[in-house]
Amino acid sequence: MNAVSNMSGSRLFAAYIGEMRIEFIKALRTPAFAVPTLLFPIMFYLLFGIFMGSMRGNMNQAEVTFAAYGVFGAMGPGLFGFGVSLAIEREQGLLTLKQALPQPPGAYLLARAFMAMVFVSIISILLTLIAVFVGHVSLTLTQIVSLFAINVFGVLPFCAIGMFLGSVVSGQASPAIINIIFLPMAFLSGVILPLQILPKIFSTLAPVWPAYHQAQMALAAIGKGNGSSFYGHVAVLAGTTLLFFLLAVRRMHGSGFRLLGSRPKRALAIISATCVAVATLSMAGVFGGGPGAKEDATAATDAASSSAGTPAPDFPKGAPAPSTVEIAGFDAGTASAAYGIGWTAAGDDMRGGNSHATQQVISGGAAGSAGALEVSGELGNAIQYPFAGTMFFPEGPPMKGSMDYSSKKTLTFKARGDGRRYMLMVISGLAVDGIPLMYDFEAGPEWQEVKLDMSSYSNVDWTRVRAIGVGTMGPTGAFRFQIDDVRVE
Amino acid sequence: MTQNTLASLTGVRKRFGAVQALDGFDLAVNRGELLAVLGPNGAGKSTAISILLGLQSADQGTAELFGHPPQDIDGRRRIGVMMQEVMLPGVMRPRELMEQVASYYPTPYDVNSVIERLSLQGLLNRPYGKLSGGQKRQVQFALALVGRPELIFLDEPTVGLDVQAREALWKVVRDLKHEGCSIVLTTHYLEEAEALADRVVVMAKGKFVAGGSVNEIRAYVTRKQVSCVTRLTVDTVRSWPDVLQVEQQRDRLQISTRNAEALLVRLFREDPELSDIEVKRAGLAEAFTELTSESAQEAA
Repeated sequence: MNAVSNMSGSRLFAAYIGEMRIEFIKALRTPAFAVPTLLFPIMFYLLFGIFMGSMRGNMNQAEVTFAAYGVFGAMGPGLFGFGVSLAIEREQGLLTLKQALPQPPGAYLLARAFMAMVFVSIISILLTLIAVFVGHVSLTLTQIVSLFAINVFGVLPFCAIGMFLGSVVSGQASPAIINIIFLPMAFLSGVILPLQILPKIFSTLAPVWPAYHQAQMALAAIGKGNGSSFYGHVAVLAGTTLLFFLLAVRRMHGSGFRLLGSRPKRALAIISATCVAVATLSMAGVFGGGPGAKEDATAATDAASSSAGTPAPDFPKGAPAPSTVEIAGFDAGTASAAYGIGWTAAGDDMRGGNSHATQQVISGGAAGSAGALEVSGELGNAIQYPFAGTMFFPEGPPMKGSMDYSSKKTLTFKARGDGRRYMLMVISGLAVDGIPLMYDFEAGPEWQEVKLDMSSYSNVDWTRVRAIGVGTMGPTGAFRFQIDDVRVE
Repeated sequence: MTQNTLASLTGVRKRFGAVQALDGFDLAVNRGELLAVLGPNGAGKSTAISILLGLQSADQGTAELFGHPPQDIDGRRRIGVMMQEVMLPGVMRPRELMEQVASYYPTPYDVNSVIERLSLQGLLNRPYGKLSGGQKRQVQFALALVGRPELIFLDEPTVGLDVQAREALWKVVRDLKHEGCSIVLTTHYLEEAEALADRVVVMAKGKFVAGGSVNEIRAYVTRKQVSCVTRLTVDTVRSWPDVLQVEQQRDRLQISTRNAEALLVRLFREDPELSDIEVKRAGLAEAFTELTSESAQEAA
């Protein structure tokens, strides 16, 4: 008999690859897994994100929805792929047989993680296609690729959580137990519905859910984060992954399953070191001069001012808002406003972009009024967040002064236009370059009212509003819209 | 460990709660032999095999596979395993399962040759979950040998197989042995051990009870079966010393005894017309029952 028991490197590699292939085929052929994990994110996105988009509170932002459902799509394959299968295969003796056979160390876990990542890739690609062709989401290629990467690697913490659950619960109970965690987590972390439209307690508690951190990463990647640190979220997720992985391994070893092969300490050391390194590098990004340093610095001040809702005592609030309800009606033939610096056409040329806008007051406004403001121009693509439109600065000098609108409840105006989607933008807070509120609406041929329920947006520092703008951030190209009757009351 | 000992347990103890599953158990599997491990339920057979496969670790004592601890993958690359209670993924086809397991080994058999050898051609197109119980066992057997192992562990390999399939599997097992492969068989079918085993180890209550060839095991047992045509009645013979059991089977008496010679002398004395005598050693089944019940009595 052949007494050689050494595996060649290429055979060993092939064994790992084969194991991944088999796991993937197995998952695809298991409808109870493949159908819900692939279809639910797509269905939910179509339903809540696209068709009922207008019902997502007032947060009608196609890009935000798209980013959030990508996270939703990453949760299922990780939680169910690891949780249910591990629980079942542990009970059915397959894991025991694999352990008696010379399955390469760690191949089982690697193959499952790979399977989950492939599923997430498929979901992400499908969501992207829907978003671009049905949802008219305008994102740069970099943003789409970033979201894809966040989803695919973001499955890992869910894999670890699923693995832990699968090591604890019985095979039969596992789908129910995992659903009990999956759906509430998706809801409470703001993935299914934006947190802003939920009572404030939900926003406060959301950070306990890993999905929240992934969602914030996704939003930050498309420039719509709440200002919190991207790398802080990475660190939280790396820690979550390591914690649940260690708990699961401990549990499995207790029941005699050596998922990491005969030298588990070495494997554990490698995995722990990776997670700790990711977390540490991320934290270095937060505190040091890493790529996230600039936005994080603003995040810190933003967090102090806006997200908590209570202004820091050292910084005065903006000037008190006048009791005047109407900011501008454009009926006197000028773009001036009741107070502050009147409406000013703005492109992104001063930020290095190539978008430009011009504005003129035209006769014949909404509801038979004498005039309205027409803004037109061309949105370029030279910089990452292009903008063209018109801006209003309630308290001069522009962007330096701010106004305290905290006693007001709604911001409304009338709009019509060429059918493109436009953005109402509110720049607020202590830092100038914080991430503004972006509220998206469609301007069709008929006048329609755009209404912002101000109390719903706790991320806006309403005590320090620096500018209110209306314009376009995408898609690239010529645009034309009119606004009238801007009111704050 | 000598070159010829492929796997061994030495002084192994294992306790599960209040149950001492193995109580100082020794076992050595030699190259080229087919070893049957027998014992009643709860004797510790599966615990012993689990420890040899590295699925559990011993509280005391040592286990080795090809000179390595069983947890070490190097030793396990030289074994094949067929377990009793395992559900393979139902959505996979037999060939895919075989290819997957073959990929774990350095020099496996060609999957097609295994399919041919076990005549699995008829069930390749169905997913594993749709196969009958017997067909599933055949696929599991294929997985045990596809890696070209030097030592195969077979746990109740023929449960659920029809007579034909069982004979076919036995033939493959014998062929494998002739090719130099060693086999450890745990079984409840004593005839399976009688048909295949070179050596038998009987265990009870976590201990070694008896070991040797099938004939040697039988010889451990003094009991013999005497069958004859006689006018003596069951009740008469039953009252004689050393007679363990008497049964009337049509015109014959079936007598179990510890002392066949004395019984024969007395039979001839009391019934000179006694005819058609047959004296048999006990089968492995009887030997096995006796060995394990004696050991149980000792333990009690």
